Amino acid sequence: MRIVCPFCGERELGEFTYLGDAKPQRPAADAGEDAVYDYVYLRDNIAGVMSEHWYHGGGCRAWLKVTRNTLTHEISAVEPAAGAGAAKVGA
Amino acid sequence: MRGNQANRLAAGGLVDRSEEISFRFDGKTFFGFKGDTLASALVANGVRLVGRSFKYHRPRGILTAGSEEPNALVELRSGARREPNTKATTAELYEGLDAASQNRWPSLNFDVMAVNQLFAPIFVAGFYYKTFMWPAKFWEAIYEPAIRRAAGLGRAAGLPDPDHYDKAWAHCDVVIAGSGPAGLAAALAAGRGGARVILCEEDFVLGGRLLADGGTIDGLPAAEWVARAVAELTAMPDVRIMTRTTLFGVYDGGTYGAIERVNDHLPVPPEHQVRQRLWRIVAKRCVVAAGSIERPIVFAGNDTPGVMMASAMRSYINRYAATPSRRIALFTNNEDGWRTAETAIAAGLQVAAVIDARPDVSPAHRSLASKGGFPVLHGSVNGVDGGKNGVRKISVSLTGGARAEVEADGLAVSGGWNPAVGLTSYHRGRPKWRDDIAAFVPDGAPPGMIAAGAANGAFGLGACLREGFEAGAAAARDAGRSGSTGSMPVANDEAFSLMPVWHVAGKGKAFVDQQHDVTASDVELAQREGFQSVEHLKRYTTLGMATDQGKTSNVAGLAIMAAVSGKSIPETGTTIYRPPYVPVAIGAFAGHHRDENFHATRLTPSHHWAAEQGAIFVDTGLWKRAQWYPRAGEKDWLESVTREVKAVRGGVGFCDVSTLGKIDVHGPDAGAFLDRVYINAFSSLAVGKARYGLMLREDGIVYDDGTTSRLAEDHYFLTTTTAKAGLVMQHLEFCRQVLFPELDVQLTSVSDQWAQFSIAGPKARDLLKEIVDPAEDLSNEGFPFMGARAVKLRGGLKARLFRISFSGEMAFEISVPARYGEAMARNLMIAGKPFGVTPYGTEALGVMRIEKGHVAGPELNGTTTAADLGLGKMMSTKKDFIGRVMAGREALVAPNRQVVVGIKPTDKARRLRSGAHIVPKGETPGPDNDQGYVTSVCFSPVLDQWIGLGLVERGRERIGEIVQAHDPLRGEDYDVELCNSVFYDPDGGRQRG
Amino acid sequence: MADFSWDVRSPLDRALVAGAYGAQGDAGVSLTEIRNFDLVQVMARRGKAGEMAKAAKARFGIAAPETRKAVGTSDATLIWSGPDQFLVLSKGGKHGIDALAPVFTGSASLSDQSHARVLISVSGEKARAMLAKVSSIDLHPDVFGVGAAAATSMDHTSVTLWRNNDRDGQAVFNLLVFGTFAESLWHTILDSAAEYGVTISHSEELA
Repeated sequence: MRIVCPFCGERELGEFTYLGDAKPQRPAADAGEDAVYDYVYLRDNIAGVMSEHWYHGGGCRAWLKVTRNTLTHEISAVEPAAGAGAAKVGA
Repeated sequence: MRGNQANRLAAGGLVDRSEEISFRFDGKTFFGFKGDTLASALVANGVRLVGRSFKYHRPRGILTAGSEEPNALVELRSGARREPNTKATTAELYEGLDAASQNRWPSLNFDVMAVNQLFAPIFVAGFYYKTFMWPAKFWEAIYEPAIRRAAGLGRAAGLPDPDHYDKAWAHCDVVIAGSGPAGLAAALAAGRGGARVILCEEDFVLGGRLLADGGTIDGLPAAEWVARAVAELTAMPDVRIMTRTTLFGVYDGGTYGAIERVNDHLPVPPEHQVRQRLWRIVAKRCVVAAGSIERPIVFAGNDTPGVMMASAMRSYINRYAATPSRRIALFTNNEDGWRTAETAIAAGLQVAAVIDARPDVSPAHRSLASKGGFPVLHGSVNGVDGGKNGVRKISVSLTGGARAEVEADGLAVSGGWNPAVGLTSYHRGRPKWRDDIAAFVPDGAPPGMIAAGAANGAFGLGACLREGFEAGAAAARDAGRSGSTGSMPVANDEAFSLMPVWHVAGKGKAFVDQQHDVTASDVELAQREGFQSVEHLKRYTTLGMATDQGKTSNVAGLAIMAAVSGKSIPETGTTIYRPPYVPVAIGAFAGHHRDENFHATRLTPSHHWAAEQGAIFVDTGLWKRAQWYPRAGEKDWLESVTREVKAVRGGVGFCDVSTLGKIDVHGPDAGAFLDRVYINAFSSLAVGKARYGLMLREDGIVYDDGTTSRLAEDHYFLTTTTAKAGLVMQHLEFCRQVLFPELDVQLTSVSDQWAQFSIAGPKARDLLKEIVDPAEDLSNEGFPFMGARAVKLRGGLKARLFRISFSGEMAFEISVPARYGEAMARNLMIAGKPFGVTPYGTEALGVMRIEKGHVAGPELNGTTTAADLGLGKMMSTKKDFIGRVMAGREALVAPNRQVVVGIKPTDKARRLRSGAHIVPKGETPGPDNDQGYVTSVCFSPVLDQWIGLGLVERGRERIGEIVQAHDPLRGEDYDVELCNSVFYDPDGGRQRG
Repeated sequence: MADFSWDVRSPLDRALVAGAYGAQGDAGVSLTEIRNFDLVQVMARRGKAGEMAKAAKARFGIAAPETRKAVGTSDATLIWSGPDQFLVLSKGGKHGIDALAPVFTGSASLSDQSHARVLISVSGEKARAMLAKVSSIDLHPDVFGVGAAAATSMDHTSVTLWRNNDRDGQAVFNLLVFGTFAESLWHTILDSAAEYGVTISHSEELA
């Protein structure tokens, strides 16, 4: 598989590490145990298009949000995590 | 010429007669020519019997002339380079080649195991499952060892492979599999269009079927056209032609696997060269021009030596000028097979008869028959008379029911052609059935891939050229290349007609899969026993599961299955196709990564100095770390380690701790960031101070620990454990980029920038004073416990100094830029001489941390909470941090959790072992009363006995209790006392002193 | 008081043996370790990419690379190393961490990497063929031209790779390799290059 890193260009799978579902958002500090439980443990396991976190640890060390079809491995979009390239925020 | 190549034609072929090559087969010397394969050279020498079959030990010859060969498998080379199951049909002949037949004893001609043929009735599909069921206990002791001895083909060398293999990447616009007419036309179109092209050909010569079948292209003889095409391609700088290279697999994102047999055609690779190279080819487009494979027809005796695929016979005669037989019969069900009769006549061989299953034969072929003086029999071959010496007589059942016999010493068979649908089907693609050619053809392909020519079911030469050229041109365009592709090569299409014949009923064994000895009756039996799915058929009969992956047998097997089950072939369907297309040596997948290069190795800055001292190294992750430093006269590791510990506790020692992960945390929000990733607060840490920190996973379990120092208002220096260094960096980047993007914080790994040494012991400060500039205040007041600051060393070098201790002694960690690491070790030895300084390794480090009750990897094991480790009080209640909420769950705060506690045997002479279970004294150990286990142990020089740490239910409430250590692995049970985990200096006076 | 010397030792000090290696004849690959350099990682602070760029421009007279490029001045090379960050490679302390710290105050965070990396320069007719064994990226001249840079991995080890100016008409590839991995990767590179013949040297000069 190959992933087009928004910073590095197309790279082979070996440079990346998979984390998993990128949908769940970390709950606020006061959200309570149930919300955190959901965030930590409840994951969709989609046979189809999924948004996933990948880490370009073998390259620029950016965390990426990759939209991938788990059936075909087709990647339809890759975008940086909010804090990757954040120096340009507001610039 | 030295050799008498009795079956070599006087002229013709693509062999180089000026280069005679001697080789050995089963110990006998033969001669061939450069350009031969082992198979063609054996044919030229009249050798017909080349091996014994897998199950029945039947005599077998050469069936094909390519990588689909099921029979002619040999052990190539000898000694450590012996390679079993090598196809004689693809093994290139070289001077001194040494090959041996397989699966026979004592000799190929007289094989004791051929007696299996007498028992053939019991060796049917599912034989093992049915026969060796009873008595059950016989399976392991008797049946399996006997079966393993009898089964299998060649013998592995059993010695380390002395040759080298490597791996490489290649990038292109268009990769093309196969260099027959379609492949060459595709390469021409793509190359002219400006594309970067890689053309892979598994043979050592380009041309594919053109090499054997010739033809006329653009008005030129095929050989001349090939030469021109190759010359044109070679002149293109961005076209790479790779012969001896098989494209064996397609992977996601346009990545292709190919195996290049770089030096398999030499007895030993030249110095510094590899035997094989595994290529990972990244291509925008792929044209599969892998051709098609002629398929056998299943009839009794179809495995007799001398029965050969019709196209293979043409290859041997035309390409190698070697005649497999003198008097040839041809059994065909299609037009193409007739070419073999034409070839035989042109070569001056006799044609005994053509047996054509079709009702009609073209007038041209009729006149060929009358000119050649041979009969055309309408019908099918239903039996072959002959044994290990090959075909003698062929029996024919004629259309209408009559029988005939044909005397011949060779039988060419053509059952039609199967496009090579492997590559196009590897992504779970299912090929589709085409009735007109009675074959499966690709039905779509992985993204970016297209099949052309015979691989796509287009068998005519003109069609191959056209499809190849169009596919190559389209591929170049798709890759964004817009050059002119020039004119398309043109040739006529041959007539094609075929009447499917899969299996001819007859008396005797009729083989479907010759490599695995699967017969037509095995397939029928499987169907009768209820194995309806082709996937089940495959596994029950092992059809298609040999090293040839059923290239010549799968479709015939399906067809027979379909016939007996009353379904059509497309209804019956195919099994799933999986790479590799040809066997690939494990060595090629490993490449450089074997022995000491199995994985990358990390060396500490003082590694070579430690090696000079005779240190024993231990692998910790990728690192080599000094484990202990043995001295002359020490009888074992324990004596060395004990000496090192005593030297530290009594004086001073040092240890390279550079393996810890080190991360610069910069930015205005660095403190706030650390507050969120550690359970304790760091924003409140004063500049110039260090603090021990603990990180949790979001599920509340401890992740990692280490000290982090504040070097400036907006600069922290964070350390991780050795094991987790990379993972913590990844985790922190996740926190920074994904969870807390609003924080202004920057992370950089500085693990390799700093050489860090722990200097520990009551004389640590004395030693340090010798190293550090005298102006630096190292007193307890000027640099107290948990201090952290930059210092200047004697000589002006800038360093960082941390007053932290893992040993329980007064200790410092000092960091210098890594290239000074070795000098630091040497200088510590020089400066420490008056104090008896002793370098210590990871074992002594471990002993001292256990004596001091510090937790490490065995306790931070992915199941423990901060409270389990006795660090619950560190958890801040004033801030949010990763893992806070989940750490509060009922089970994680339950009072009966297993927590860290000290453990020592009541018998001081007894050795404590980690892994031992803790159960209440006097009870019979079992899962119900298992209360925990010993995690870390050491021999404590301070207590003069073995001690340890363990995770024990309510352990801290049970200090003083005697419990039982149960070690079923070692068969030991003994009493131990639960005690305070801090065995040494519990008040901490020494480290603060 | 003891007599100290603070000798610097490259991580390749033992492994690098100057001279010829591998196949005989004209060497297809030339490997040079460049020693004793200053290397500073410059990472923009949040929202401060513009300020960092201005500071870099003022300091070096050229724009720091914002994409996968390496740019050179007479006394420094600025190499892109990831989003919002670049490396400053120089010699003699002029652009070392102490000199650069005031330049980027408030706009970027700096980390000294001078001792963290080993710099290996690869050239020769077979440089690309050798690199193809350890690098998964496309180094075709049309794709990876002079000044191209990449943060990538070789043999599972992170490296910063960039193409320098050609020398004697041949491409020159520079590799910054983590120091503790350097000896291991060096052996991998030598094994990969052996079939082409190698000349090995070390130098104190930044090319």
